[in-house]
Amino acid sequence: MPGAMSDDQTPGEAPDMAAAELALGLLDGEERAQALRRVLAEHGFAQEVERWRRHLAQLFDLWPAITPPPGVLERVEWTIDGPAAMQVETRAGRRWFWPVAAALSSVAAAALLLVIVLHPFDHGAPPQARPTAPAAAPETILVASIDPVEKGLPVTAVYDPAAATLRLTAAPLGDAKRSAELWVIAGDGVPHSLGLLHDAGGTALTVAPANRARLAAGATLAVSLEPVGGSPTGLPTGPVVAKGALSRV
Amino acid sequence: MSDFHAATLDARARLVDALVRTGEEDRSAFRDLYALTSAKLFGICYRICGERQAAEDVLHDVYVTIWKRAGAYEPHRASPITWLATITRNRAIDWRRAQGVRRTTPIEDAPPIPDDAPLVSETMLADEAAHRLHACLQGLEARQRDAIRTAFFDGVTYAELAERQEVPLGTMKSWVRRGLARLRECLER
Repeated sequence: MPGAMSDDQTPGEAPDMAAAELALGLLDGEERAQALRRVLAEHGFAQEVERWRRHLAQLFDLWPAITPPPGVLERVEWTIDGPAAMQVETRAGRRWFWPVAAALSSVAAAALLLVIVLHPFDHGAPPQARPTAPAAAPETILVASIDPVEKGLPVTAVYDPAAATLRLTAAPLGDAKRSAELWVIAGDGVPHSLGLLHDAGGTALTVAPANRARLAAGATLAVSLEPVGGSPTGLPTGPVVAKGALSRV
Repeated sequence: MSDFHAATLDARARLVDALVRTGEEDRSAFRDLYALTSAKLFGICYRICGERQAAEDVLHDVYVTIWKRAGAYEPHRASPITWLATITRNRAIDWRRAQGVRRTTPIEDAPPIPDDAPLVSETMLADEAAHRLHACLQGLEARQRDAIRTAFFDGVTYAELAERQEVPLGTMKSWVRRGLARLRECLER
């Protein structure tokens, strides 16, 4: 390779390789945001990103395969078949949970209830003693009081990481024309949909694997009003009508 | 060699078929697709996520996405494995970045990525273009090549690359940009 040696000694600006950098995933923060804006604004740039993706895709050939553990496909199918399977699963818990939880209007009371009923502490090691990184998946139950922006009662949300279930008290926020959609906003600052809230009665949601780590203390839960069936874009499109922060029990 | 080639084409045709039928909500085709591709996709998840449980969760998420999005797959635009692997890599990277996971060293028990191009390309993009990237990468300085490969396979950013190599961020950017510029030159030749 003649000339290769002199490369890094050459002074001056490195070439603009933003399309390749974006395709490779090298960028983060503002640089990434800027490159993404260019994809939208510059047709030539978008095409160049696509060209790089196609070139780089040849590297997928080299990626060693690893057999996944058994049971993943079953879990996938269970998720796909979703709501029906979920209802059967949560009914037993719901029978006592909703009437009791719905009567509570404060997170503290809900927390206390859960501590007593659901989650007795180990005598040897109080959970607070565990070292917990802010971004690590929580191991303890988390609660939030999702307060309406204007008026009305707060919605209590309880997340059980062991079962990956999120239960919410009645949230009469949506109506016939609009669905109330629940979002989590974690460290990346981007809302991720957790699902739709029922118009009447409480809601139980099984949290998708990608969202589980996002449900950590400090993360925000927000409810927006969306077209019936949920946001068509994957991001909130309507007004936020309620929000609150998750905290440890 | 030609038998081998034919066998690869046959495998690809089966994959296209399974993916297209998955797009028509054919559950048994989806199970075939899983059997044909899950080890490849799990390999991607595992290397980027760096831990088994997370890799399993991301793999779950990826196949749920595939089930929902397979209808949008266009066989004439991308090979099926490229389409699937791209979804997987992006999803695994999203997971890592959302977690704020910073690894200054590669995970230890992941199988190493081979240096050379396989005999017959699985992705089989366009016959004459296949292997061009591999040849061009070989023409780069070792540290440029290593940085580009690490970015691709480990899903790391400039900041993490710089940390791993213990060089200033600006130095790493400059290496990689020059490497990418040289790569583009070679690819377009």
